[in-house]
Amino acid sequence: MERLLAIWIEAFEDEAPDGSTLRDHLALLEALTILCPFTESIRLGLFVLPIRGPSRFFGGEAKVLEIVRGTVLDVAHQQPRLGIADGLFCAEVAARQGRVIAPGASDSFRRSLALSTLGRKDVATTCQRLGLHTVGSFANLDVARVAERFNQQALALHRVARGELFELDGQRDLKLARRLRQLRGEEEVGDEQLGFFGQRGAGDDRADAAAHRVRRRLGAEAVVVASLRGGRVPEDRATLVPWGSPLSTSRDSAPWPGQMRAPSPATTLARPVAVQLRDASDHLVVMEGRGFLSETPATLLFSHQLRREVIWHAGPWPLVERWWVLNRRRAHLQILLVSGEALLLTAESNRWWLAGIYD
Amino acid sequence: MEFRPLAHVASSDYSYERMFAFSPNRPTLPEDLIARLRPVALAKSRILPLGEPWGPLVPNAGLRRGSTVVVQAQPGLGGLSLALSLLTESSARGHWAGVVGVDDPGVVAIADLGVDLRRVLFVPRPRGAWAECAADLLIVRPPSRASHGAARRLVDRVRERGTVLIILAEPASLWPLPADLSFDITQAQWSTSSRLDARYLTVRIGGRGEAIRAGEHVVVLPSRRGRCEAN
Repeated sequence: MERLLAIWIEAFEDEAPDGSTLRDHLALLEALTILCPFTESIRLGLFVLPIRGPSRFFGGEAKVLEIVRGTVLDVAHQQPRLGIADGLFCAEVAARQGRVIAPGASDSFRRSLALSTLGRKDVATTCQRLGLHTVGSFANLDVARVAERFNQQALALHRVARGELFELDGQRDLKLARRLRQLRGEEEVGDEQLGFFGQRGAGDDRADAAAHRVRRRLGAEAVVVASLRGGRVPEDRATLVPWGSPLSTSRDSAPWPGQMRAPSPATTLARPVAVQLRDASDHLVVMEGRGFLSETPATLLFSHQLRREVIWHAGPWPLVERWWVLNRRRAHLQILLVSGEALLLTAESNRWWLAGIYD
Repeated sequence: MEFRPLAHVASSDYSYERMFAFSPNRPTLPEDLIARLRPVALAKSRILPLGEPWGPLVPNAGLRRGSTVVVQAQPGLGGLSLALSLLTESSARGHWAGVVGVDDPGVVAIADLGVDLRRVLFVPRPRGAWAECAADLLIVRPPSRASHGAARRLVDRVRERGTVLIILAEPASLWPLPADLSFDITQAQWSTSSRLDARYLTVRIGGRGEAIRAGEHVVVLPSRRGRCEAN
């Protein structure tokens, strides 16, 4: 197990939307690489370097800490937290606490940590109810006992607690290295759109040229490409991203029970328009708690002037999604106007919204 | 030196009468040679194919490059779906399409129609730069009634690039130029069960030039599967 110096910069943990955090991270990584060529960036704001070589070169661990602290202050203008311990997991915890663990003491340091530092709330809570408060007491459990109560990830956690694995699952940001390469310009941003059999034809080049021309004239966001993702209703399933931005290549193969079936509206409003539904005696039609309409809708009101007669409706189909966090409750309704237009309405937060037009 | 009599020349296979192409008794070329000598750029390659159900209803079963197609409908009665359904067969064969001026495209509906989304570029708000997008097919929804000059510029550019221009016109934004091919939706009828099932569009196909099976046809768009089908 290698003795590591971990450098943690708290301000980098929250990434700014303008990309400045990533640029600062890259600048700092380059500065630290000059000090020690084996510097690794683990996550945004967390760097790790093996301490043995630098401490010999600079003359002691205290000297290295001093130099690194000065470098971070110079380059990133942030006060870093530094820690030295064996293995990535211990090193990060030591850095968060700002401690230097003596050689050979990492094992006892790890065992004395609170169980919540392992990052799994359910494991921590269950074990605390069993009277296990530290990583060490969790490590003392028999593997078979842990396996029969928890899942595979908790078993990996148990191996970290016992000191057989040195880093947690998900401690490294696997996409960070690629993003840094893209920022340096070593890797092309965005994956190329390939032709039907994977090759590029003249038409593809022409389309590229046309898209570039339109972008030059109208701005980077003007040309948009669409893709599908998982979801139940059309407005959730569509993604429109500016042309040239990286597309997710993962195809959704989940079954999505309750998905709205074809036909789908040919116009799906990105910003739904608030509308009103009225019944024959001009009262508001609302969704009731049990998912029924209060009255049969007879009129659709866009504003006070613009009202249309509703001749038919289907639904509503209530949709309660992710009730455990988001608790998003919606209902969808198809209506047919006397002019022959078909519309898709959504009920959300006690209002009706025009979500799509079957144009 | 010997002079042959004229009659003798005329009786041979290579009489000078046969030197001219319009001569009725010109020897015919063998079939395989004709096939080899045929120009490489077939008229067919200047046609972007149309799938079912449009193929049998239009001349050459496709859209000629450089031509203008006008789809005309009341707002909300299926004009956009019809224009998009003209893309399906070409998109499946790897042609690119541009959709200009369509604000909020229903991506799911477009995918259901059978259009390959990887080769569709959307320019939702073109702000006067319509004519720049040069895909193989181009759907344009003019924001209002287009001026004669702007329309003429766009048509010229399309002809020069060999694009098929599909104009989505509404009564408020009529296309000022004559169309090579036009689809007018005269009637839209939904069939419903416990939900919207399918829509029967009555389409009048017209145009100029080549003989067209003009007349009214009924197509199902979208069908229960979200596709465009013959009735």
